[in-house]
Amino acid sequence: MLVSWEWLSDYVKLDAALEQVVDQWALSGLNHESTQWVEGLPVIDLEVTSNRADCLGHIGVAREAAVLFSKPLSIPQPTFEESSENVSSFLEVENQFPTVCPRYTARIIKGVKVAPSPEWFAKRLRSIGVKPINNVVDVTNYVMMECAQPLHAFDLAKISGGKVIIRPAGDKETFSAIDHRNYSLDSQMVLIADAHRPLALGGVMGGLESEVSELTVDLLIESASFVPMAIRRAARKLKLHSPSSYRFERRIDPNGLDWASRRCCQLIQQFSGGKVLQGVADSCSKPTPLAEVSLRRTRVTQVLGIDVPWEKTQSILTNLGCKIVASTSDNLQLQAPSFRQDLTREADLIEEIVRIVGYDAIPEDAMVPMVSSARRPKDFMMATVRSVACAAGFDETLNPSLIGKTAIDRISPWTANDPLTTSVPLLEGAAVLRRSLIPSLIAARLHNQAQSNRDVRLFETANVYLPQGSQLPKEQLCLGCIAESDPRWVRGVFEEILERLWGNHCSDLQERIIDLDFVERGTAIAWFVDNSMVAWVGSLSKSLAQSNKLDGPVAIGELDLDQLLTRAVLVPRLKALSPYPAILRDLNFIVDESIQWQGFRETIQRAAGDLCKEVVFREIYRDTKKDGVGKKRILLTLTIQSDTETLRSESADASVAQVIAACQKEHAAQLLA
Amino acid sequence: MAIDSFDSAVDGLLADAQASLQSVDSLETLEAFRIQFTGAKNGALKSLQKLLGAVPPEHKPAAGKRFNQARETIEQLLTEATEKVSKVSSGKPISSTGPLVDPTLPGLRPRIGVLHPITQTLEHLKEIMGRLGFNVTEGPEIEDEWHNFVALNIPEDHPARDPLDNFYLATAKTILPKSSTETQSSGNSSGGDIAARLLRSQTSTVQIRVMESTPLPLRIISLGRVYRPDAPDATHFPMFHQMEGLWVDKNVTMAQLKSVLRLFATSYLGGDVNVRFRPSFFPFTEPSVEVDYWWNGQWIEFGGAGMIDPNVFTAVGIDPEQWSGFAFGLGVERLCMRRFGITDIRDLYRSDVRFLRQFAS
Repeated sequence: MLVSWEWLSDYVKLDAALEQVVDQWALSGLNHESTQWVEGLPVIDLEVTSNRADCLGHIGVAREAAVLFSKPLSIPQPTFEESSENVSSFLEVENQFPTVCPRYTARIIKGVKVAPSPEWFAKRLRSIGVKPINNVVDVTNYVMMECAQPLHAFDLAKISGGKVIIRPAGDKETFSAIDHRNYSLDSQMVLIADAHRPLALGGVMGGLESEVSELTVDLLIESASFVPMAIRRAARKLKLHSPSSYRFERRIDPNGLDWASRRCCQLIQQFSGGKVLQGVADSCSKPTPLAEVSLRRTRVTQVLGIDVPWEKTQSILTNLGCKIVASTSDNLQLQAPSFRQDLTREADLIEEIVRIVGYDAIPEDAMVPMVSSARRPKDFMMATVRSVACAAGFDETLNPSLIGKTAIDRISPWTANDPLTTSVPLLEGAAVLRRSLIPSLIAARLHNQAQSNRDVRLFETANVYLPQGSQLPKEQLCLGCIAESDPRWVRGVFEEILERLWGNHCSDLQERIIDLDFVERGTAIAWFVDNSMVAWVGSLSKSLAQSNKLDGPVAIGELDLDQLLTRAVLVPRLKALSPYPAILRDLNFIVDESIQWQGFRETIQRAAGDLCKEVVFREIYRDTKKDGVGKKRILLTLTIQSDTETLRSESADASVAQVIAACQKEHAAQLLA
Repeated sequence: MAIDSFDSAVDGLLADAQASLQSVDSLETLEAFRIQFTGAKNGALKSLQKLLGAVPPEHKPAAGKRFNQARETIEQLLTEATEKVSKVSSGKPISSTGPLVDPTLPGLRPRIGVLHPITQTLEHLKEIMGRLGFNVTEGPEIEDEWHNFVALNIPEDHPARDPLDNFYLATAKTILPKSSTETQSSGNSSGGDIAARLLRSQTSTVQIRVMESTPLPLRIISLGRVYRPDAPDATHFPMFHQMEGLWVDKNVTMAQLKSVLRLFATSYLGGDVNVRFRPSFFPFTEPSVEVDYWWNGQWIEFGGAGMIDPNVFTAVGIDPEQWSGFAFGLGVERLCMRRFGITDIRDLYRSDVRFLRQFAS
């Protein structure tokens, strides 16, 4: 809202300097955006919150200043000469759409001389960015900027049939507005029309054909009320926002229509002559009843934590326009003014009191009783997850929850259901709620590749959104990892997290080789509990990697942190150490390429017996010169230990012999001497 | 081997070593000395050790003792020789044909990943608010209109509910939300049968869920992602993070709101920070304020706050005559960017490791 400092002085005489007034406004609810000098006079841009439609006119802003600086507010009383003719003999108003237009009033002025406005008047309008047009249109704009009630002047000669009809627009009915553009309307929009054609799009913009021009002699002055939501919808849909629609959207003073209409007539008569016909054509002459609100003195203190003198409370509310209906030493019954539609409850009045008293009066050292609070299990878990990922050299990244529709974006290991989409994209082309963190991580990797960044290992912990029919979707918290080359880097992170958080529960996990359409065949592995996947790891398929121009193999994987939490053991418990020494044996087997560690390890564990505490994989290497093609060597270490005695070397040898025999039998493995 | 011949071998070795020491005068001769006597493969000591194996068992203890003495003597001589050579070559670069330690090489640093600055900020906020007695809570990011609007006293005709100002799911109605009566009646079930769903536009939704389900009094914060259709620029991104605080108890006052926010600011920013309230308008609080902090000589916008609107209490079945409370909300990105000197919010979501790795802490 642009406010002319000079114009404001019509309503309130302030001694205070502009800067001081601006500061006070800011601290009482009218935020100062900027002050500019236009044609030598200061113009202040104030931010008006959506509940304060009254401050979308100079009078409302002046009232705030008058209350803050204890100055009288003077509002002009519109007077004009009326002719002997009555509006009713020329005009009838028929309201067919009262749910959108609760009230429509019209006055008629005959015999005006349309000309430019007086310079002082035009200057005021220019200063607040309103382009002067003529002495009729300018008055309607001026009065709107004065009292926040939008007004419209029609050329009466263009209204046929002596009747104004307020009606819903027809579907796809077209309308030519004064901006010289055509709009296609719908049946939820309200038209001001005559018997033949639309005259104005109610609350939004006037029509081209009934516009006031230099040839206009007789005027119809509209002052009406429209329902905020209907106007907002129309303005939005047509992308046609006007100062009028802006004000109607924020709810105008329902009892201010008549003042605005008369003020308009007064100024038009003053500048353009003409005769104002007696009376007003009014679709609904009942005034809107004023809300009554009661205020308890104790409640003010309870909410604010400060005492406000009761007399001060009363004077603030009265100065703001409230009428005291009844008062006792600790209770007030008040009527809120019609221009303050936002004051309907005790809490609203308390806000009025404190914003005028000033929030500085509220102390910042009140007592805050101490209570206990604790980190949640989830916080402990997340700390472990993040610290393991970081320790493994993965940098954390955060990515938008919505992605696009590329082949990468379709990666979906957790669900086969189609993803959810939003009606408006988050970013260009990103309207799909991600079902996996991997698409974002691949995009992140590609971004880094383009920057020639090396050693890119990234992780993200965030929700993925898994549709579940008509239910709210499942939001599953996941850890997603991406690394260069070997998926074991990702697997290692998951193993470390699982072992730290699940401890013995890790034995509940079943490891399975699985097929995922986006993972290179034969590289995907997953862990399940009760047939529910907890984590998966693999290499992005070569075809996806190539088609997306990834510069090398990509290891990816996800871990379901919600499931992780269900079995998390957050506090490790000591397991007693065996007092007897362990015997370590390194073994080196030659096996066929097709032999996989999982089965090999199971054979070893079975064969080694209970004394074998640990089977540790060391490495795989190939020596085709010595072993031939299609063979590989598996190096591993057995830890053999008893909890009850010191083992003799022979006992360990026996275990090892069993292992060697079993590996030979089940996997044709040759021990390398 | 007889013990006598072992003893004489020891004597001979020691005599040789004494003699050879005289000729040590450079790194080269020192190395030759070392190899001759202590070389791992064919050094004289190694040979002597092999002889030791052949000594009859009854003499082994004595022979072993002799051997150990001899080894100590040789090592002593080697130390002397090294000192001698280092005196000769002190001040001069040591030249050698073998590999040498370069202590000026950079250390072998582990490549440790870095937490995202937003995560660091969120954890920091949780920690501070935890000390002030606020427990962390969470809620879904995809919400129904009841939790995102209706229960928060955001009426149907409020601009915040405009479909174009929210990320409604495409399956939901996109033109206009349902009429208020419909929404009200289906809303209280707070279930999934509400057709219109959207990405939450504020973390205040969690307030409602917590008040619906948790006994009073309450002191909670909720942190997480929120979504608003803003065109991305240096200070706007359509996805960002909020922290919402809520305190419901008997007789909670605005003075306590101001005091908690001051305690928070003092902890977060360090030093004594003053708080300023400016009136504002939020449907879910009344009175509503903007909160500013006086820090480093200027007022900094922090977020919004206010006393919980009685309509919100009523919506979740709490008697506003019995209970009062406050809520506040702040943008995490703003705090994060100020703390780390980040000037473009979009950098937070570009995943560039050159950016991310700067926030190692």
